[in-house]
Amino acid sequence: MSPVPPSGAFVRSRERVVRAFRSPVFWQGVAGVATFFVVWQLSKAIGLMAALPSPVEVVQGIPRQVAQEGYWLSWIASGKRVFGGFIVAAAAGIFLGIVMGMSRKLRWSGFPILEILRPIPPLAWLPLAILFWPSPEMTMIFLTFLGAFFPIFINVLAGIDNIDMRYIHAARSLGSSSNTLFWRVMVPGALPSLFTGLSIAIGITWEVVIAAEMASAQHGLGYLTWNAYMGHSLVGIVVGMLSIGIAGMASSALMGWIGRNAMPWRRGG
Amino acid sequence: MTASAQGLPAEYDERLRRSADWPVPPGDWRGRALRAAGSAQLGYALAGFLLFFALWYFLTSVVVPPRFHFIPNPAYLFQQWTSRQPEFGISVFSPQYYENIRVSVLRVYAAFAISVVLGAPLGILLGWSRLGRNLIFPVVEMLRPIPPLAWVPLAVLTFPGTETAVIFVTLLASFFATVLNTYLGVRSIPDTYFRAAACLGYRRIDVLRRVVVPGALPFIFTGLQIAMGVAWFSLVGGEMIAGRSGLGYLILDGYTQLALPNIFIGMITLGVLGWISSALIRKVGQVLMKWQSKGQEMAS
Repeated sequence: MSPVPPSGAFVRSRERVVRAFRSPVFWQGVAGVATFFVVWQLSKAIGLMAALPSPVEVVQGIPRQVAQEGYWLSWIASGKRVFGGFIVAAAAGIFLGIVMGMSRKLRWSGFPILEILRPIPPLAWLPLAILFWPSPEMTMIFLTFLGAFFPIFINVLAGIDNIDMRYIHAARSLGSSSNTLFWRVMVPGALPSLFTGLSIAIGITWEVVIAAEMASAQHGLGYLTWNAYMGHSLVGIVVGMLSIGIAGMASSALMGWIGRNAMPWRRGG
Repeated sequence: MTASAQGLPAEYDERLRRSADWPVPPGDWRGRALRAAGSAQLGYALAGFLLFFALWYFLTSVVVPPRFHFIPNPAYLFQQWTSRQPEFGISVFSPQYYENIRVSVLRVYAAFAISVVLGAPLGILLGWSRLGRNLIFPVVEMLRPIPPLAWVPLAVLTFPGTETAVIFVTLLASFFATVLNTYLGVRSIPDTYFRAAACLGYRRIDVLRRVVVPGALPFIFTGLQIAMGVAWFSLVGGEMIAGRSGLGYLILDGYTQLALPNIFIGMITLGVLGWISSALIRKVGQVLMKWQSKGQEMAS
């Protein structure tokens, strides 16, 4: 062992783990999850849900599935599509949200059109996007963009709308320039709502990318799952689903982490 | 926000004229229509639409950039949509159009109904019973991150027929949205309400009926609106990947047959139906939670 004493954060996290192990809540949760798996395994054993693989089979199959050619490549392919569309959507959504949040005229003229386009499910754009965009990659990024754009845009707009007028008046009375007003009042005021939008959006982008990859793609986690389906590999399907779930969770966690660091004043103290 | 800094009286006047205090009964549609027609907002909205369609027309018929020749112009689209003899068999006069609508609507509402019937009680259980929450919530949280559409292959293999598979995929997302929001709704009820109910000698069933359900209702309806949105979303995916009918299939079929008007008709119809469904839920929520808006008026 190294002689370096453990840092404060490390001690705290270890304490937390120890406390979790002692609490009944933790063990009840474990019992719940365990029951889920036992019921799954048993229902398989008595002949229910014959199409599903049992959890034991899934666990046994994981190494082979992960070792197959292109497994990690499909993570990268899906990740690129998700974050490509997401970043473009965030830029466009934040820009339009701010513009329409600050100018009533632009909002009156632009918002109704966006409200008409919004209820069209992103996946309904798939065929058109395939025809329109020259490469399949651009099609995917366009779809994830569509999925992510509306929640981000709407939440930025709502965030600006919900800023207390008194803050703006106060800033004005104290003689702040419009630059200061924007950076010190509007931006921090709208950030919580923006991050709500971002975390909704990242979830939607994963859903969109999975479906789009199943319908038409050469790589990606959705394609991997679909390929397993085509090859009648049930374990492959379940492993694909789990991978997608983990990828989605990791992206959401990343959003949460960025949000906490961008808004230190909201951290519980 | 700039307007309030200058010329306050004029803006105040304008706002008063458009506010609910103006002596037009708010329920009267004629009064509201008159007021809307005179407002500047409507003018801007019309200008926005005009610009949008003009740009669309311009880019598809006058100056056509490289990849825009796929896109039909709006006039042709409208003509096809209302034609008695549409080029690709889908218009307001063709029975197939209504058949696709019927199939999709039935699927969405069936899935929505199932997810509410199963999801709301589960959410209440999770929110109300600590043991239930500790046992079941981890399982819900474990399954929730898997996007509904990732279930498509498994659903197709597990369920008999594509119909149940598509409905299953459609209901998954709305089920989780309902459960989570109901749960959050129950958790949002102040503890004092439960204590007051206990002091007043409510039985469990009364607490459920008089405290838990009404207390969680605003959150439940938020959840239902989200649920409706994601149900339409998943439906399209399910129909495209696994379906043989419905509006999602119509769009995909329009792609394989290069019938572009059908793609647009399908998209627009989906948008309209989705919008109507959300509006319907909002309306039901308003009717069921009259007490809430009344309370807000009194508070403000």
